[in-house]
This record gives sequence, structure tokens and C-alpha cells, in this order.
Amino acid sequence: MSGDRIAGAFVGLAVGDAAGWPAARHRSVLHAPWSRRLLRELDTFAEEHRVTTLPVPFALNQPVAPLAVGPSDDAEWLAWTVLTIDRPRAEAFRDLTGREDIRARISVATALGNLAKGVEPPASGHDNPHHFDDAAAVRAVAFGALGRDPTEDAQVTNANDGLLGALAMAAAVAEAVATGSAAAAAGAALAVLPPDTAIGHNARLALDVARKAGDPFAAVPALDAALLDHVYSYGVGAAQTVPVALALAEVAGGSLSAAVPAAACLAALADSAPALTGALTGACGGLDAIPEGWITSARTLAGCCLPEMAGKDVIELMEELA
Amino acid sequence: MTYRDRARGCLLGLAAGDALGAPAENLTPAEIRRRWGRLTEIEGGGTDDTEYAIFAASLLVRHGHALTSADVAHAYRTEIIPLVTGPMRGAGFSELGTIEALRRGLEPPLTGLVHQHGWSDGLAMRAAPYGVFCPGDPAEAARLVEQDGRVSQSGEGVLGGRAVAGAVAAAMTGAAPQEVVAAALSVIPADSWTARDIVRARDVVRASDVVRARDAVRGGDVVRGRDSVPGGQVAVSGDDELPVVEALHQAVVVEHYPWTDVAPEAVALALAAYLVGGGDVETTVTFGVSLGRDADTIGAIAGAIAGAGQGRDGVPERWASRIGPVTGKCLPVVAGRHVLDVADELAEGL
Repeated sequence: MSGDRIAGAFVGLAVGDAAGWPAARHRSVLHAPWSRRLLRELDTFAEEHRVTTLPVPFALNQPVAPLAVGPSDDAEWLAWTVLTIDRPRAEAFRDLTGREDIRARISVATALGNLAKGVEPPASGHDNPHHFDDAAAVRAVAFGALGRDPTEDAQVTNANDGLLGALAMAAAVAEAVATGSAAAAAGAALAVLPPDTAIGHNARLALDVARKAGDPFAAVPALDAALLDHVYSYGVGAAQTVPVALALAEVAGGSLSAAVPAAACLAALADSAPALTGALTGACGGLDAIPEGWITSARTLAGCCLPEMAGKDVIELMEELA
Repeated sequence: MTYRDRARGCLLGLAAGDALGAPAENLTPAEIRRRWGRLTEIEGGGTDDTEYAIFAASLLVRHGHALTSADVAHAYRTEIIPLVTGPMRGAGFSELGTIEALRRGLEPPLTGLVHQHGWSDGLAMRAAPYGVFCPGDPAEAARLVEQDGRVSQSGEGVLGGRAVAGAVAAAMTGAAPQEVVAAALSVIPADSWTARDIVRARDVVRASDVVRARDAVRGGDVVRGRDSVPGGQVAVSGDDELPVVEALHQAVVVEHYPWTDVAPEAVALALAAYLVGGGDVETTVTFGVSLGRDADTIGAIAGAIAGAGQGRDGVPERWASRIGPVTGKCLPVVAGRHVLDVADELAEGL
């Protein structure tokens, strides 16, 4: 069963990654740049003409495949982590410095710049304006599923709440793989999150409001009110996304089909909260509990962030690892 | 020179740097040179930097060395939040995030931790009064500013405030620029982003020939391409400064991030400007704002430190005459206050 749960964690992350609205934006980078420029112009058009018809990523004179439901940045970075997991982490990242064909979060882009300048971990992740984001928490799914410590990996790109988010995700996924219990997974995460940190405070608060709401969809407005301040321009803070994933997974009783759609409804967090929620619930229920149609749509990577991942199959990657 | 004189120079320098830098905020150094050559004349009013510094000073006047984070949070709740009825002009992410946290009933330090701009330069921009209040005691200035910082910042944002307060405390004694920068470093951990950036920026200035050229002119030597001007200042043309501006950007400017209010960067650039200016207010501030990025905050920090060192008369009269009472456009509670009156209140009893 644990093999099925390990596969569930990986595929669950890819499913959640595919479920959030930002996936289509990430995947549209496979289109020609002018295509995305047109999208930006249509956004301006909507503003100037005061029309509420908002543009969506579209494929004029371009292949339509990238815009089908499918995985994007988080699934590719998880796959990269799986493929490089036995290498010293700074060394694996250093191989990516100087490459102009990859896309990554601000924390990772900054860390790669730091490494190129000779700023080594942990400073590479600490001297970093997005040290708090969840890039390492996404990668930590691989470490947790395999029962490994994510610290060395996380410190390359993150610090403080970003590092704690990785520790919490690894602990929760490891517990979910071992026991299948979302409540136990949330408990394992809380055990590594000090209450006097933002992520520790928010994790306890998120669990509290989600339990009061009673089910994942009902918890959406309460999580929004309790955790999101809507002040900042980016929504990938580990102190928000990891607590939301823990809370939704627990209140859904580990059901991916119940938890992931709720995470996708928190629009500001929709880039990664659904992915983290999918990893946790996928680990709880195992691959067999993930709807077949979602597995089919989410298992093949697009190469929108790491071109060498194009066409790779997440389940085959898992099997090679095993 | 009296503490009162230095307090006046500090806050006047802060206000002048803020106002001078405001139109250059977020512009590239090249765009600043294209528009103004050297930006030397104040065009309009100051921004949030001056108003928040006045607010911080008012906290110190009321609570003195006994100031706590709880006092600061209380002041936000009673004097800032009730007046926020619409857009909060000029406020950065850290102030807005803090207000949301306070509205949720959180207390410091969580109020500074739960929003994601804990490392912004929002504390560094208002840290100077804490240095004024603790002349010659950088450690106490840093301890006090941290009480304020724990409400709205975390991590490097607190350290940026500590560094600026420590620098001003040293400058209040007339210490030489190198000693002032050493004082900034003395109140923050060496293993911090802020310390690493300050050291990098200091090394760039040391290695550049801008300072050597200035010192040479001050020593009476004639250096081709640079003109000595009355009062010992040196007019260094934008072209001469280009290499050091580029090297400073290379050393500390965050590359893959769209916002410019990162405290380690702004504090390091302000201290670099202060070293390039050799402590002279006008040279320091005009160089500081020529760096772009968070130019008003860089100008405010650099102007405050240099002003504390040079006193009221160190701030060019044409700048001083442009500084009137603040309008309260960012913080209504301080509307009508003038930095010189605030400086006098701070200096009373020193």
C-alpha cells in the first residue's frame, strides 16, 4: 500500500497543480511570446473598455494542447527533484545557473543568482526576497514520500517560513504515506511548526477554522478571512499555502476529490495550494483513490518550466525511482 | 555642535532626501541621468518616510527609553487605524499588512511576521529618530528601534532599522563615516543579509576611484574632469560615477524581484552613498538618489545619517527652505508637524 501512497503523493501533486487556474498561464509559455503579448493587450482592452469579459489564455495560430487541463510548474519541479534527489542539493541547483530556458519561482530564480555569485546555502535561500515562499515545500513532497530530510534541499532556495513549510510538508507526506491518515499528517506537520512563527500560527488557525466550517468547500471563506490579507502581490507564501493544504486535507478526511477543488477556489493561492493539497490527499488515499480522468490528464509533464521534462510521465518516473 | 543642532540636521536631511528622491523612485540610474543629469533640486513634497519618522519620534517623546512594542501597537490602533478610511496613500506592503494583522487582533511580534513584507525598508526609513535619541549609544538605539520594528517587520526588516538607528546614534557624536558604518554593522549579526550587503557595498566604494578623486580634490590636488566647488564639496559628474553606480547595483540589487523596498539593499545603498559623499549632506544625498530603486528611502536614510553628522547647517539652505510642515497625506495623525520642531522635542533632555 505504501508504494501506492507514494505514487499518490506525486500524482496528487500533479493533479492539484493542474486544477488551479494558474496552470494554463504557466503552460501557455509553450506558445510563442506574441501570443501572451496579445493576452496582455486584451487585459488592457477589458480595462479600457470597461468590459467584464476577461481574456483567458488562448491559442490563435498556436497548438491547443498546452491549454488542455494538465500539470505545470510544481509538477515539473517535483519531477526534477526526484531525478536529482541523490545529488548534493547545491550542486544539483548549480547545474541550473546560467540557463535561460528555465522558469522558476522568485525564490529559486534569486537562489540561482546567488549561487552564480558564490553565495552558498543557507545564505542563497536566506538572502532572498521570497525566502518565505513554498518552492521548497513543493520539492519536500519528494523527500517526505521517500522518508528523507528536506532541509539541505530547502535551504538552497528558502529560509524561515519557507524552510519550515518544507519541513512541515515532508513530515505530513511521510505520515500520510505511512498511515493514510490526514489528521495524523496534519499533526505531524504541526509538530515541526513552532506556534510563534507565522506558518505555525496560521497552520493552527487554518485547522481551527476548517474544523469549525465542517467540510472543505464550506471552509473556503473562513480560510480566506483568517489567513489571506490580500495586501501583497503574490500568493505563494508557505505560511498561507501549507496551512491551507493541511487544513483542507484534514477536514476532507484525506479525500483528494473533496479537498483539491476547495483549494482551487482560494484564487490567490491557486498556484500551489491545490498542488500541496493534492500531494497530501494523494498520499492519504493512494493512487487508486485518484479519479482516473485526472490521472490521465495530469501524469504527462508539459516542459513549461524545465524543457527537459516535456513528455515525461510522472508515474513512470516514480516506478524508475522505486 | 549641540545634540539639538544634530537632531535638526538629521531630520531635515531625512526630509530633504525623501523629497529629493521621490521623483526618482523605481527609475534606473540611466533614466535618472537622462531626465536630470544629477538630480540636485527638490521638486515636490516628501513621502511616507518623513511622516512615519515623525510618528516614530512622537512615540519616543512620549515613552522614552521605556517604549515597548505594545505601546507602538497601541499607537497604531488608536492613532493610525481609525484614520484609515479609504486608500492608505504612500503606505508600503509592510504597513498595510501590519494594519490588517492588527485589525485581526494579532499582537507583536506576530503582526510583523504574518505579512510577507517583513524585510521591507519600512522600519529603516523611520529609524533615524531612534539614533537621535541615543547619541553615542548605537546598541540602545538599535534596541529601541526594534521595539517599533517588531510591530511591522521581521527578520532583515528589523535588522535594517537597527543598522540605521545605530549609524545615526554614532553620527550624532560627529564620528567619521567609516566609524558610522562600523557602528551600523556592530548592532546586527555578521551572518545576516543586511550585514553582507553593507559589507559588499562598502567594499565597492573602497575599491572605486570616486572617493579617491574627492579626497584628492579636497586635499587641493586638481583632478582632471572634476571641479572643486566652494565649501569643500566636489562636483562629480554622472559619467565619473557610472562605474561605482553599476558596481553597487551588481553587488546588492535584487535581480529577479519587481519591488524595490528590500531593506538590506536600501540600507546598504544609503550607507554606500554616505561613504561616497564622505559625510557631506548634499553629495551623499544626491548620489544616493542617483541610484534609483527605492530612491526616496535611500535619500532619506542617507540624508538622516549625513545630517546628524553635519548638523542643521550641513543641509543646503535651498533644500531646507523647501521643507515645510508635512501634509499628513500618508499619516493624517502627523499633519502639520515640521521636522525641525520634532527634532527639538527629541533633543530636549539629551
